[in-house]
Amino acid sequence: MTLDSEVQSLRQVPMFRDIDPARLKLLAFTGERVHFSAGQLFFRQGDAADAAYVILEGQAEVTLDTPSGPLKVAELARNDVVGEMGILSDTPRSATVTAATPVVALRIDKRVFLELLNQFPQMSIAVMRELAKRLERTNARLVRSNS
Amino acid sequence: MDKSLFRYIWRFSKREQLAIFAVVIASLPFYFWSLDLPKRIVNDAIQGGAFAEGAAEARFFIIAFDLPAFMGGGAVELFEGFRVDQLGLLFGLSMLFLALVLINGAFKYVINVAKGALGERMLRRLRFDLFSTTLRFTPSTLRTVKSSETATIIKDEVEPIGGFIGDAFVQPLFLGTQAATAMAFILIQNVWLGLLAAAVVGVQFVVIPRMRRVQLRLGKERQIASRKLAGRIAEIVDCMEAVHVHDATAWEKAEIGERLHHLFDLRFRIYKWKFMVKFINNLLAQITPFLFYAIGGYLALKGQLDIGQLVAVIGAYRDLPPPLKELIDWDQQRLDVQIKYDQIIQQFLPDKLVPLDVLAAPETDDGPLAGPIVVDRLRISDPHGSVLVEDFSFELPFPVRLAIVGNGGPGPSTLARALARRHDEYAGRITIAGRDLGRIPESQLGRYLAYAGSEPALFPGSLRENLIYGLRNRPVRRIPDDGPQARRRRMEAERTGNPVDRLDDEWIDYERLGVKDADGLDGVLLAALGRIGMREDVYRFGLLGRVSSQRMPDLAGKVVEARRRLRTMLAEQGIENLVEPFDPARYNAQASIGENLLFGVAVGPAFTGRGRAVNPVVRKALSRGGLTDDLVVIGARITETMTEIFRDLPPGHPLFEQFSFIDADELPDYEDILRRIAAKGLKSLIGEDRSRLIALALDYIEPRHRLGLLDDRLRQAIVAARAIFRQELDGSVWARQLDLYDPERVCDAAPLRENLLFGRIAHGIADAQSRVMGVVSAVVDELGLREEVEKVGLGFQVGPGGRLLAPHQRAGVNLVRCLIKKPDILILDGALVAYGEEQARRIREGLLAMFEDRCLIAVLRDEAQAEGFDALIVFEGARAELRRCPAGGASRRDAGSAAAAGAVGGHG
Repeated sequence: MTLDSEVQSLRQVPMFRDIDPARLKLLAFTGERVHFSAGQLFFRQGDAADAAYVILEGQAEVTLDTPSGPLKVAELARNDVVGEMGILSDTPRSATVTAATPVVALRIDKRVFLELLNQFPQMSIAVMRELAKRLERTNARLVRSNS
Repeated sequence: MDKSLFRYIWRFSKREQLAIFAVVIASLPFYFWSLDLPKRIVNDAIQGGAFAEGAAEARFFIIAFDLPAFMGGGAVELFEGFRVDQLGLLFGLSMLFLALVLINGAFKYVINVAKGALGERMLRRLRFDLFSTTLRFTPSTLRTVKSSETATIIKDEVEPIGGFIGDAFVQPLFLGTQAATAMAFILIQNVWLGLLAAAVVGVQFVVIPRMRRVQLRLGKERQIASRKLAGRIAEIVDCMEAVHVHDATAWEKAEIGERLHHLFDLRFRIYKWKFMVKFINNLLAQITPFLFYAIGGYLALKGQLDIGQLVAVIGAYRDLPPPLKELIDWDQQRLDVQIKYDQIIQQFLPDKLVPLDVLAAPETDDGPLAGPIVVDRLRISDPHGSVLVEDFSFELPFPVRLAIVGNGGPGPSTLARALARRHDEYAGRITIAGRDLGRIPESQLGRYLAYAGSEPALFPGSLRENLIYGLRNRPVRRIPDDGPQARRRRMEAERTGNPVDRLDDEWIDYERLGVKDADGLDGVLLAALGRIGMREDVYRFGLLGRVSSQRMPDLAGKVVEARRRLRTMLAEQGIENLVEPFDPARYNAQASIGENLLFGVAVGPAFTGRGRAVNPVVRKALSRGGLTDDLVVIGARITETMTEIFRDLPPGHPLFEQFSFIDADELPDYEDILRRIAAKGLKSLIGEDRSRLIALALDYIEPRHRLGLLDDRLRQAIVAARAIFRQELDGSVWARQLDLYDPERVCDAAPLRENLLFGRIAHGIADAQSRVMGVVSAVVDELGLREEVEKVGLGFQVGPGGRLLAPHQRAGVNLVRCLIKKPDILILDGALVAYGEEQARRIREGLLAMFEDRCLIAVLRDEAQAEGFDALIVFEGARAELRRCPAGGASRRDAGSAAAAGAVGGHG
């Protein structure tokens, strides 16, 4: 798999959908492709957030530490992004992510990502749009659950 | 230092100056003789004066003198001379003249060299005096001193003064006597001509300097006026908007026009003066020969002057102007240098300097400072007069562990600094062990008291050198060296008031530290670093350090063993895929193409960066391996990608620096190359372009950059080229610039870490780095290498100001530097702020235990941190209060020291 195929994957990610291919290539090039074996940790809840990951192959699980043990809250698959909230909000990891199968992911360093957002407003807007959409969805869900 | 430059020079260079004077005086007769000789050549030899009475021969080079009357008078002839004819006399006298020219030249040479040596010595003394004065600046003076200014003064500004020092006395004497000799010679030949020459010289000497001074003054005015003009133009440009908004262009034009006129006027006056000076100089120089020819000729015709005398007078007069001109120059230089010297002296004569006796190393050690601290009516204000510490008296026994707490104000730190004598402007009295703090010699204070502030001062150099900075107080043992070089060095130092101590001497008192040698000291350093939790850091530095197989053969041997052990251990854990070892017969996918080709670590510039791509050996290996075109293609592909993705980033952007193959400023060049390829194809590229592309290709690592540019054929070809490269390199001039990988040998040029791994950690496997380093650590422990590695780590270069260390590491160095002195009193003033809360607490507890039988004074943030301290001073603004104090030192001390010995087992 080469840079070009990674760019293809990035284009499938909603957050990056509208971004110039050249920018995505820069994002992919500055990123690092990482292999995880099944069961290996991406990061643990409470760790400092240092990177976001785009899953290129395989599946991963998101779990929360609860008093009664780990609670699985989501499953991640190809083209999902994880960990981006932590690097944007500069807060520790809110959940633990573990590879469920062998996973290949693109690791995007926090500093590099922020640097790119700084440099290219287009990217910042794309990220904001995605975050706003998520907020809207959450709001809608709240309304539904309250009604 | 003297207020007057001349007094300063005379005080320290009397002997040399007098010696040079003597030489100058000795040179005068020869000079006079050389003036006189032309007269004899013309009169006796050319005009035949010596053969006047028809004599066929004349005597030449008679050595004779008259005996004084009290010895009976008469003449003694030592050498009756050669008998020569007219032609012989002419050549003889001419040869004599040539000899005199040489002798005069030799005198000049000797005098100049002596002057140069004198100037250089005085420059050295002046620089050293200034530096010594800097060392005596009090803490309050230091606040107002700009370090860069001090450095430029010592380095640059004294330079012209040094150049002048050699000339200061000698030059006027030398030139003056020379001019006087020439003058006297002319006078002897003919009084009138002499007076004439003297009159002209007098005019020159009086008028020209005055005119020059006017010229200089105008020059300074011009400088100021043009500086103002520049400033005004800048102002107008900055306020251009206002100029246009208010339609003030005409006003501003008039203003600048006015200034330009003033400038023109000044410049024009300077020109007038300049050429006037030139005119008068020329006139005087030319008019005198005219007078000489006219009046001298007239006198000669009248028979009052012979032709030889006239020729000699004109010759002597020709010698007059240069010394005069130089004398005038000297006078100007003197004024200039005196002004400079005054400025420098002002800079270096602050109101207060540390008294010399405090700085001087006393012969006797007055003993440790292990005694009570008594502070009597201490009052400290800042330079603006606001009070930092209000009238405060207290008394503390020894030992004591005192916490000073404040509410964020400057009080606690000021008190701590005063106790460490880092703040010297206070009213009241501080005594330690019954001695006045202000009068304790620095050698004692430095030995028994340690102060760690919040801003560690680190010097460029190794970690080790920084840690032992406080141990090198003065040489404990001189390494004898009586070679001629060493003797000369010592003599020069003594002549210029410089120290004779050498850096090669033994400066560290190992005995006092309880160790045998430098190796033992390393152990002490590591133990102290361990106590503040810095050993792991040093271990990591060690892995980045280099192991020399010559200096550390033991370690080098063990590293090769560790290499093998690491491989098996990785295999045992099933993670051998995390490291791809360097195998001479295989392509290492985790390394770049260049690394795979060279298969070694570059020592010199020939095999790094662009040098690698243009190196003839590399290129030959590539072309013999049939790889050149392939690499050019790879380089072109990389260029395409790089120009595409980095085009929109501004030059100097951090991402550029970190990720791009191509420097920002070279990007346009590479775009040009791409255009040329598009237009004419790859084959058309010239050598330079091809080298650039090859340079890119050599940096390429497939799993990291993921451009899909390598296939098995290429990999095999590169491994094959590796062998060719080795053949080509062998015996070439570059062989020493590359340290080749050899599984059985340590690679001196590579860091220890690389040597242990002897391979590359795989890219793109999560946590590979930390997992591998964990195994490395296990191997290091298993083979008992940890301390060795840490000792390599002590050689880590900390960079200017310790910039290559993290803040907490710098703080650690600062602290350890204090601890290994084993001080009686340790004062911590913000030394722990770089640490996290938890770590700071641990270090504090360690120090409390360590200082149970000594004195520890710590400035703390709040009372909660003061737990475990025996005494507590609390500040409310500038008002302080001793809240807690041990009843008496004595009873606690015994228990304390016993406990300390048990708990810490000694310190250092």
